[in-house]
Amino acid sequence: MNSVAVSSITAPWTDDAKVLADVGLIAREQLAPAAKRIDEGYYPLDIMANLGQAGAYAGHLDQHGCRFGLAISAMSEVSRHCGATGFMTWAHDVCGLYMEQSGNPALLTRLQDHTAGLTFGGTGLSNPMKALTGIEKMALTAKKVPGGYSVSGTLPWVSHIAPGQYCGAIAAVNRDDGSRSHEIMFLLDLDERVPLRACPEFSGMEGTSTWAVPLKDYFVSEDQMIADPARPFIQRIRGAFVLLQVGIAAGVIQGSIDSIREAEPTLGHVNQYLHNRPDELQAEFDELAARAMVLAETPFDGSKDFFLDVLDVRCQGAELSLKASQSALLHQGAKGYLMNSAPQRRIREAHFVAIVTPAIKHLRWEMAKLMREEVPA
Amino acid sequence: MSHDVQEWRQYLCRACGLIYDEEKGDPDSGLAPGTRFEDIPDDWECPLCGVTKTDFELFEKPVVVAVEQTAHFSAEPGIVVVGAGLAGWAAVEAIRQLDQSVPVTLISACSADLYHKPELSVAISRGLDKAALIQETGVDAARRLGVQLMAETFVVGISPSLHQLRTTRGSLTYTKLILAQGAKPALPAQLPPELCWRVNDLACWSGMQQALAKGPQSIAIVGAGMIGCEIAEDLVRAGHRVTLLDRNASPLAGLLPEPASQRLRDSFAALGITYIGNDDITGVTQLDNQQKQIRFGSGNTLEVDQVLAATGLMTDNRLARIAGLDFDRGISVAADTLQTSQADIYALGDCINIEGTACRFIEPIKHQAKAIAHGVLNLEASAYQHSAPVVRLKTRSLPVVMNGLPLAGVDWTLIHEDADELVMEQRFDNQVIAHLKVGASTQTRAA
Repeated sequence: MNSVAVSSITAPWTDDAKVLADVGLIAREQLAPAAKRIDEGYYPLDIMANLGQAGAYAGHLDQHGCRFGLAISAMSEVSRHCGATGFMTWAHDVCGLYMEQSGNPALLTRLQDHTAGLTFGGTGLSNPMKALTGIEKMALTAKKVPGGYSVSGTLPWVSHIAPGQYCGAIAAVNRDDGSRSHEIMFLLDLDERVPLRACPEFSGMEGTSTWAVPLKDYFVSEDQMIADPARPFIQRIRGAFVLLQVGIAAGVIQGSIDSIREAEPTLGHVNQYLHNRPDELQAEFDELAARAMVLAETPFDGSKDFFLDVLDVRCQGAELSLKASQSALLHQGAKGYLMNSAPQRRIREAHFVAIVTPAIKHLRWEMAKLMREEVPA
Repeated sequence: MSHDVQEWRQYLCRACGLIYDEEKGDPDSGLAPGTRFEDIPDDWECPLCGVTKTDFELFEKPVVVAVEQTAHFSAEPGIVVVGAGLAGWAAVEAIRQLDQSVPVTLISACSADLYHKPELSVAISRGLDKAALIQETGVDAARRLGVQLMAETFVVGISPSLHQLRTTRGSLTYTKLILAQGAKPALPAQLPPELCWRVNDLACWSGMQQALAKGPQSIAIVGAGMIGCEIAEDLVRAGHRVTLLDRNASPLAGLLPEPASQRLRDSFAALGITYIGNDDITGVTQLDNQQKQIRFGSGNTLEVDQVLAATGLMTDNRLARIAGLDFDRGISVAADTLQTSQADIYALGDCINIEGTACRFIEPIKHQAKAIAHGVLNLEASAYQHSAPVVRLKTRSLPVVMNGLPLAGVDWTLIHEDADELVMEQRFDNQVIAHLKVGASTQTRAA
């Protein structure tokens, strides 16, 4: 696309309040009515394109002012009405982050369409993030070949992808003797070489277009390379990667509190006997959100303390999602238990927030690992 | 028409709670905004749950008489103690002496076993190991004192406004929080943690003890402060070859006047401890033969089997920062109550700073614990009075006892000197501020 078109799209995104207002409007008017359909399997690329035009995927990028707070708030607005789309917004955001931080001119050329929601891509880093910290084995392996690498293996499930789209991926590069040399990170283009395999049915968020990705001798060119070696790159972006996820949780929590307040006029006289009342939840959420916004000011702080703070916020977000979503269903009662109600859908969204990588258990595992003093073997 | 002047009404679905608002209608099922309830066809269905019009009733917004809660259900009372070293357990003991029933939770990054920490610097020459040093297991002590123990658990966040504590095993709320997190070794960048032992807690000490139990070895101790000096004597008595390293010309130079420091150095030499002073360490690396090579600013190198860092302690400021606690090289606490700058949060032991000074000794801890126990239980104050504790160096070859708090730059006066004993004093404004005795004369020993 030409630069005139780009500037006409990007120019309005300089105003945080306008971006949030536009994103909020799309979320309320387009996402909220479609949330049940998305939960059941509709992949809402049409609405996601509109969110892109409104600037939902731009804030955190350097070329848009490194406004992580804006990116998180926009994601929260999306997630408040549809957790599945909130999750895909995160996937789309971090994919943009990989492209930009790669510094690879070929990927930077593709970034503008990505940011504007003209093209779409997710992140296949669930397995490598766990692998790099020692929780499981790396699923993809790469061999050096002329002009790039040849990658094989299967990523179990990757969201927000489809034929013609793309996602970030990491593969282990082994030496001839089978020992690990290093890892590479690249943008995996899901072209005709990649047969996407359907996943088993999940209990919710089926519209996230989640597939297994089997690769056999897939050639990765220099133009697709995000980082070689990958570890220093991951080390640099891991705080930002995890911090952005707070936006998904924030939306689920605020949406749950909204549902509780909706029930107050009719059910307040009995709801007063429930615990986790809306003001209490809101107070915890506000405190959490304030801490997240402070962290959003320095997303690339490489210190151990910063990463611990990020993991703490992410973990608390997951715990509070669970608490708030359950409370919302209890407050709404049978109405919240209806198949098309938001509270029962959010229960499943909240559990997703709690189990998606890094899950609560991974976060605590990682925090314990970071807190432990290193001693001689 | 009378219809039009009537206020819009709302009808509540008894089945699902949906509200039909006459003003808004239900366009999705063909009811235009402004459709009165009585004008709705009988076969119309609730858009949410599908019941019919007869299951709706007039909705009058009830007057909610909610009780103003002063305490939330989830804010159940309980005292939470962070840290199960001497200070944490002292706090628990002090609370239980005053109140046997208040819920207490103790969070420990280790197994919370009770041991007497000062013993660590003399235990190897006495042939003790971890099991011998443990006086009571954490689990047994928790049972005896009726506290809930969260062992092997790290505290990762504190939100004072919510009275919330977040850990690697989940979140909990507190009514009062007591921080006894201790201090951690201040390891300079030149001393890689994976190559240098520290002895600030039982688990870490035990690792070194096991490594040394394989047989006599060469060991370099970096830092000739109190711990470095005590351990040097302990290890040489256990049969190891000890080199003591420090930037200063003689040991404990920061605390002792030159003649005393020189006596200690002579005493160490007599024991077979090699002292290398006046040299900075620039790095430590592991050699292929598993020995560690220490490189000095002077260009010299030293190869040893083990390296122990005794380079001092520092308080980790992360929790204090997150909780918004005043912090100045330690958590700042009120000198009498040991309350931090946040309500309902107290601190004691190695992690605190009283009037600008850290105090990392054992003796004050039980007094601090007593004051805090009264505070958290809202009992009449048992004010803590801080005074500089007597410092006794556990160097059997040359006992060192310091009373008071010496000041740098103030001259020492010689009081008594003979071959076995050196007594000196520091005076300021005609007052003795520090009294030092090094060694023991035959008379004193007999007494």
